Amino acid sequence: MLHVSIRCWATAALACAVLIVPTAVLAQQAAPAAAPAAAPPSAPPAWQQGRAPEQGTSTLHPFAPQMTGRPASELPIDKLKVPAGFKVEVWADGIAEARSLALGDKGTVFVSNRLAKNVYAVVDRGGKREVKTILKGLNAPNGIAFSKGTLYVAERNRITRYDGIEDKLDNPPEGKVVVDNLDPTNQPGHFWKFLALGPDGKLYFNIGSPQNITMPTYMQAAIMRVDPASGVLENYAQGVRNSVGFDWHPQTKQLWFTEHGRDWISDDSPEDELNVVKHQGEHFGFPYCHQGDMLDPEYGKNRSCAQFTPPVLKLGAHVAPLGMRFYTGNMFPAEYKNNIFMARHGSWNRTIKQGYDVYRVVLDNQGKVVKYEPFLTGFLVDEKADPPMWGRPVDVLVMKDGALLVSDDYNGIVYRISYKK
Amino acid sequence: MFWIGAAAGADIEAGRQKAQVCVACHGPSGNSTNPVMPSLAGQPAQFISTELFQFREGNRRDPQMTPMAANLSNADMNDLAAYFSAQKPEPTTHKTDPANAAAAPKLAQQFNCVQCHGPALLGLQHIPRLAGQQYEYLKTQLRGFKAGTRADLDGNMTSAAQALTDKDIEVLVDYIAGLGTP
Repeated sequence: MLHVSIRCWATAALACAVLIVPTAVLAQQAAPAAAPAAAPPSAPPAWQQGRAPEQGTSTLHPFAPQMTGRPASELPIDKLKVPAGFKVEVWADGIAEARSLALGDKGTVFVSNRLAKNVYAVVDRGGKREVKTILKGLNAPNGIAFSKGTLYVAERNRITRYDGIEDKLDNPPEGKVVVDNLDPTNQPGHFWKFLALGPDGKLYFNIGSPQNITMPTYMQAAIMRVDPASGVLENYAQGVRNSVGFDWHPQTKQLWFTEHGRDWISDDSPEDELNVVKHQGEHFGFPYCHQGDMLDPEYGKNRSCAQFTPPVLKLGAHVAPLGMRFYTGNMFPAEYKNNIFMARHGSWNRTIKQGYDVYRVVLDNQGKVVKYEPFLTGFLVDEKADPPMWGRPVDVLVMKDGALLVSDDYNGIVYRISYKK
Repeated sequence: MFWIGAAAGADIEAGRQKAQVCVACHGPSGNSTNPVMPSLAGQPAQFISTELFQFREGNRRDPQMTPMAANLSNADMNDLAAYFSAQKPEPTTHKTDPANAAAAPKLAQQFNCVQCHGPALLGLQHIPRLAGQQYEYLKTQLRGFKAGTRADLDGNMTSAAQALTDKDIEVLVDYIAGLGTP
């Protein structure tokens, strides 16, 4: 026995883990045969984990996108509302499950998938807008970022790079791996990644909590970064349940990110968060403390919210904030400069639904939030219906001309918002 | 609010025309009489369009269905989904073993079938109705999920199927195939 265990530690910790896992699985499989009547319930689906027994009859459930999309001609686009002077129109449709947006140097708009496996390129050719599927068969390629001719794609398990992609849209090169093995557990849950390039040239991405509310490992519930040149990984922020949108303030260069709060507490708590990372390694509370001031009923025992960085803004419960960008364009009125536009995918874990819109966040010169207000609304139709909406914003993108693109994964549509005096 | 839901804008009559080739295997109006072929009648429209999408994209594979879906447009899929979801499911003819009928409801709770498919296993939106579905088809799907070879949009079914023994699958499928549909 001793001999075995010494060899085990001497080879690699990973080898021990590999030996231990099958034993546990065998034990689980053997149990029902020994005592079928007393078999414990299996783990619930990831979205339902953490639900209290008295919530067992709840009919709340997540909404899946319409994978085949719906053409704009069949949707009530005229019901969409933007402030006076702004105009919203359909920019492209037929992009299956349109999720994250990234802008190429030559004007190509890249669009990603979460549940599907593709990356698309939208290009204007000879006055005609064309949607091309450029990458297929990827593993939940939700994260895309573009820099200096290279498209980076974050799949659930790895990040790859496609150099010179804009010149090869009809014949894309094989991806080169930047970093791999980012998803050792391969479980359902928050497996999709957001990806963005920081001002330091490193790639930033989230690894979400694997379930609703469980103790994460050291590389879960985190925002991480990797140096694309060396492949070296670092944890950048901790205690982040799941962030699927972030950007750097154009002046302070600090990272601002959206974060989804846990489910199955109540309709109004905890609230989702807008956060700022002031230094590497900061802990934002998950799973101990939510919304900066609410201890988790289970994991919060013997903890204090004072141990963690609070959000700069509470966004409302279950609004599901996703993509956010600082507005750096010149088309919108001057007061929009350096505002945040935030796509709110909308609530499922709430009896009265909210979200399904794009919000505007205004900051003062000290970076303090002074306004949080609707910018694009009209997708939410009946807050008690199932489903309550006909569209769901996922990401926003500032174009070179200053217009704002908004993706909608429920319909496979990208909208364009412009402004004219 | 007529445009909420998967069938919005999609054309049932166009779907009926396009479905003529489908019913050769899936049965008249999508009511299958072949144990290995799934019934489509009265399935949620979003489930049908999602699976057609998965076949066309090569995520879900089947020697018969893959070529059928290969040339369908999104509009075709939405029309087919609108048509089949509007058809009335015929009552099942499957006879469940009484012992399985007694044991299965507990298993459907234990293995979380009802958590997504609903208390009567009738499905909703992208989640299929299981009640009254064909016996052999159900068995093949569950075995595929357990083996990790059946395409799964979000991983929930693959995960749920891992704890099932072959015996559990037999009991559950015999029970589900005999369940009534509204």
